[in-house]
Amino acid sequence: MAISKAEIEKLAKLAKLSFSDEELERFTAEFDEIIAFADTINQSIEGGTEQIRSVGARMVSFDDLRPDEVMPSLPNEKILSNVEGYNGFFSVERSKK
Amino acid sequence: MNYEIVCGIETHIELATKTKIFCGCTTEFGGEPNTHCCPVCTGQPGTLPILNQKVVEYAIKAGLALNCKINTKSHMDRKNYVYPDLPKAYQISQYDEPLCEKGYIELDSGKRIGITRIHIEEDAGKLVHENGYTYIDYNRGGVPLIEIVSEPDISSAEEAREYAEKLQLTMRYIGISDCKMQEGSMRCDVNLSLRKPGDPNFGVRTEIKNINSLSFIQKAVIAEAERQADILDAGGTVVQQTMRYDEATNSVTPMRDKENSDDYRYFPDPDILRFCIDEAKVEEIRASLPELPFAKLRRYVNDLGLPEATAKQISRYRKVAEFFEGALAEGASVKNAANLIVGTIFSNMDTEEEKELFAVRISAAQFAALVKLADEKKINIGVAQSTLQKMLESGKPVEEFIKPEDLVGISDEVLENLCREAIEANPRAVDDVRNGKDKAINVMFGYIMKKTGGKADIRKAEALLRKLIGP
Ligand SMILES: [Zn+2]
Repeated sequence: MAISKAEIEKLAKLAKLSFSDEELERFTAEFDEIIAFADTINQSIEGGTEQIRSVGARMVSFDDLRPDEVMPSLPNEKILSNVEGYNGFFSVERSKK
Repeated sequence: MNYEIVCGIETHIELATKTKIFCGCTTEFGGEPNTHCCPVCTGQPGTLPILNQKVVEYAIKAGLALNCKINTKSHMDRKNYVYPDLPKAYQISQYDEPLCEKGYIELDSGKRIGITRIHIEEDAGKLVHENGYTYIDYNRGGVPLIEIVSEPDISSAEEAREYAEKLQLTMRYIGISDCKMQEGSMRCDVNLSLRKPGDPNFGVRTEIKNINSLSFIQKAVIAEAERQADILDAGGTVVQQTMRYDEATNSVTPMRDKENSDDYRYFPDPDILRFCIDEAKVEEIRASLPELPFAKLRRYVNDLGLPEATAKQISRYRKVAEFFEGALAEGASVKNAANLIVGTIFSNMDTEEEKELFAVRISAAQFAALVKLADEKKINIGVAQSTLQKMLESGKPVEEFIKPEDLVGISDEVLENLCREAIEANPRAVDDVRNGKDKAINVMFGYIMKKTGGKADIRKAEALLRKLIGP
């Protein structure tokens, strides 16, 4: 096992999500498979993924960075079109916890 | 029992770029809620953040001004935590490859406070809690910040304040931020623990979050050191936690449990390419830095011979220093220029902010023209001060107020006649002078100055008066 149920519980807590014991068991198994899959990639590369980051990855130079020029923002209605808005704000009901 | 304070400060500074760190939205303060926003800075799925060049440039400037080593290779990381002020549930920050490392700030005592690192990151949105709801405005979300982390080298409340003040001054000087603590463009978190003198180990530390004034930093350090000392004296242990300083009661109270840093699960942001800055670019940025305030202060005292207090007042504000140096370049004398700035111009400016902005209506060259008249003794200091005041109010040059004929001065004949008049008009003062009350001569000076509008040569007048009054 690459990951324990306790670790999954901790991740859920950090993400402010709650699951039943049954769900946690299932996720632990699923996560384990996903990690095993990613490990296969890691093993197929000499030097591991660290190697990709330090040598293989493309880098940009200072001159390629974005110039500091203002672009139009989106209209407020558009920004709030997928959510419940209130007076131009995003609004969320506070949890009682 | 006596304890030693071990203190470090983390400072967040909002950079004065035009746009946000990863999108072209304006960083302008205020605005209607969620109007300075786009899909990138509200964290919509599928959007691509692109790093602002100016943010990197400004952070390097900060690093160089604080004697840091600049990392020529750097990347962005994701710092994960769930809170509604972060739409993506992570903040794009830097973890193991910050732009700048290993610098220092030197205090007046000569002690150096180490700078561990400076990294760039995005600011979070603003939350308003009301009636069981949280309202979110992401206008500030994505505004670029630098976080400057000091070593735990600070060992008193005064040092903590001086460190923050010097940091603020330097950042303003290099023009990367206005560092207004009240408006939140500079915010300090203070880490503090106590230990017995000579103990090599650190005690348990607490972190006081978001202190928004220099004097509160000093007070918070004192209050927290006292609180921890009381716990230790009573045989208790300090709990590692996040605290808040309350200025109304001058006390420090717990805020919320802090997550351990490994709970942030930092990892490289796969959306943003690693970037490199070549040495030539770093040198180009170094060359663009102005002379820093502390170097200026030393030069004003050592090379120009200004008194420390005057030199401090002028070097403290970049625009004032530039105005002063501009006047010197036009031939004004150091002493008169400095005294007229500190005495007359500053008397029109009540706040630090006004001095910082230094919006005067005359140019350094126009100011120098006036100073030179005083240098050449064509006008006395009193006239120089009142004329300068008129120039500042009207924005008009010195010629508007002092005509060439005013500068000829008072002829010796006229001055002698005036002295005789002064003696005749003040018999009692004359008697006093004769009886050894030397200060009574001021009465005659007053008379002559009034008659000439302050233009008489006071030394000549004194010599004449003494001759006329006799022994
Ligand atoms: Zn945006």
